[in-house]
Amino acid sequence: MEQSRAHSQPPPRVPAAQTPARRDTMFCHKCQDEWYRDEHGLTCPACGSDFTEIVEEDNDPRDVHIHDHSDDTESMPDLEEAPAHLNPFAHHNPWRDAGHDADDPEETDISQLRYQQVAPGRFTVTGTVYRTMSPSGAGRGNPNVGGFASMLNNIIGAQIGQMHTVPPQNDEAERQQSGSGTTPAGHRFHYQANARLFPRDANHAGPQIEPVDEMSNVLAGLMAAFGEPPGGPRAAQNHDPYAPPAHPLNPLLAMLTGFMPGGNAAAGDFVYSQEALDRVISQLMEQTSTSNAPGPAPQSDIDALPRKHVSMDMLGPEGRAECSICMDEVNIGEEVTELPCHHWFHHGCVAMWLAEHDTCPHCRQGISEHSENAGGTTAGGAATASHGAATATQNPQNANTGSRSMPGAFDVEGDGSLDHPFVVPSASPEQRRG
Amino acid sequence: MSTGAKKRIMKEYGECMADTPPGMKINFDEQNMTEWEVLMDGPDGSSYAGGHFKLKITFPNEYPFKPPVVSFKTKIYHPNVSNDDKGSMCLGLLRPDEWKPPNKVVAVLRLIHNLLVEPNPDDSIEPSIANEYKENRKEFDKNAKDWVKRYAK
Repeated sequence: MEQSRAHSQPPPRVPAAQTPARRDTMFCHKCQDEWYRDEHGLTCPACGSDFTEIVEEDNDPRDVHIHDHSDDTESMPDLEEAPAHLNPFAHHNPWRDAGHDADDPEETDISQLRYQQVAPGRFTVTGTVYRTMSPSGAGRGNPNVGGFASMLNNIIGAQIGQMHTVPPQNDEAERQQSGSGTTPAGHRFHYQANARLFPRDANHAGPQIEPVDEMSNVLAGLMAAFGEPPGGPRAAQNHDPYAPPAHPLNPLLAMLTGFMPGGNAAAGDFVYSQEALDRVISQLMEQTSTSNAPGPAPQSDIDALPRKHVSMDMLGPEGRAECSICMDEVNIGEEVTELPCHHWFHHGCVAMWLAEHDTCPHCRQGISEHSENAGGTTAGGAATASHGAATATQNPQNANTGSRSMPGAFDVEGDGSLDHPFVVPSASPEQRRG
Repeated sequence: MSTGAKKRIMKEYGECMADTPPGMKINFDEQNMTEWEVLMDGPDGSSYAGGHFKLKITFPNEYPFKPPVVSFKTKIYHPNVSNDDKGSMCLGLLRPDEWKPPNKVVAVLRLIHNLLVEPNPDDSIEPSIANEYKENRKEFDKNAKDWVKRYAK
C-alpha cells in the first residue's frame, strides 16, 4: 500500500480510509482532548478548535505535548537538565535503529552522531572531551590534552560505531544511561584538579607535583568506557555494570595499561612533560633510596671481616679516635673491625650498616670478597664506581693500596705506562651490577 | 631507638653547641631528643638577611644509618625547600642514598646555612623557583625578600 509519507502532504492528513482496520483517534492541540474521528469529525467537540490532528502510530501528537520539542532536530536540549525521555539521543540511537527501517539522519543529526557514538551511556569518555571547555581544573597544557582526548574519542567512537551494530543493553539500562547526560549513573568519574602522583611525605621529601589530572582523566574515562577500572579507589567508581563483558577495544585497553607498571597502577601515574617525568623519577629514586645504593652484605662476609686492636698509629693527630658511627671514643687495645678499605669501626656498629649496605660507611667501597676480586660482581662495585669521584678525595689513604687507585675502581692490569697500559676487564657496569 | 643512637645524638648536640654555625640556635629537649628545633637567622648578604627561620630536624629511629629529616617551619622562598606545609629540604648529604653514618648534624646545619647563602637550583625541589633563580635573579631576590617580610620577621 502506497503510504503518503513521500508526498508533500503532512502525515496528519492521511485519509482514514487507508487504515480501515482501526478508528482514527483525533487530538486537539488546543484543549488536548481526544475523540474518534468517525464520531465527531475533525473539529474538536470540546472547544470547537480546528487545530487538531489525527493520531498515528508513527506520529502521535500527544507525544509532542508531553515531549515538548522531541521532534525538533534543530534544538538540542541541555543534557544536564533534560529529563530522561527528553534526551534527543534516545530518538537517534543509530544502533538501536540499525535493525529497523529507520530514517536517514539529517545533517544536524550527523554532527550529533559523533557525539552520540561516545555518549550513549557506556562511554563516559564523552565527559573527557567536553571537560576541556569546563572552567574548573583548567591547567596548563590543557588544550593539548583536550586535543588528545578528542583524538582518542574519535578513534574509539568510530570503532564502537562499527562494532556495535546491536546494542547489548536492555531498556532499563538505556533509560539509565540517558538519564543524566554525559555522566550517566553507574560510571561517573570525578575530576580532581589537584591530583597528585602520591601524597607528599615528610620522610621522603618530594617536589611539588603539578596537577596531572588531565591525562589521568582521559585514561580514567577510557577505563570507565571499557568497564575495567584501572585500579585505585577513584577508578573503582568507574565500573560500569552495563558494560559488555569482553569489549572489542580491550586490546587498546591492554595497550594502555601496558604502559603502567604491573598493569594496575593508579590512573594518576601519568605525566606528559619532561619536567614532570623528571620529578617522578627523582621521587621514585628517593622512595626506593636503597635500591640504587648497594644491597646488604652477606652475613658470612660481615663475620669474616678482620678484627684488630686499636693501636697507637690508628689514633688521630690529637691522640684520640672514635668510631664514626656511634661517635664513641675508642681506646688503645679496643677491638674494632677493619674493612678492606682500612676504615675501621666497632663491629656492632658497622655490622648494622653492612646488613643493609654492602659498602664502607665512610668511603662506600664494597666489603665483600667477590667485590674485592675481579672488579667485583656485586652491586657494591658498580655503586662505588659511581661514587668514585667523591670517594677518591675522601679516602686518600686508599690511593696507595695496590692497584685499586680508587675505591670501587675496576681492577686493572698494567701500570699505566706506555709499555703496560691499563687494561680494564670487559664487564660493563650493568653486568657487574647484576 | 637504640641507646647507641641516643648517645650519639647527645654527643652531636654537644658538638653543635661547641661549634654552632653562625646565626643558629638549637633548642634541645632531652625528653624528646629526636626532634631538634633550630632557630636560624637569614645569613647576612643573602636574600634571606633579616629573616628568622624556624627549622625542625627529626632523627629517624634508624639514625645514624638513615639521614635526619630537615623541614622549615617558617615559609621560605627557596628552590631547595618545598613550598608546602612540610617545608622539606632534601639534597646533598640529606638524600637517603647519599647519607652515610659518619655524617654529622653539624654538617647538616652548615649545609642549610650554605644553601641559604647560595641556593642550588640544579638540585631543586621547586623547579619554578629554581628556574627563576637561574633566569631572573632580580625577581627571585624580590620574591625571597618579600617572603622574608611576610613570614620570617
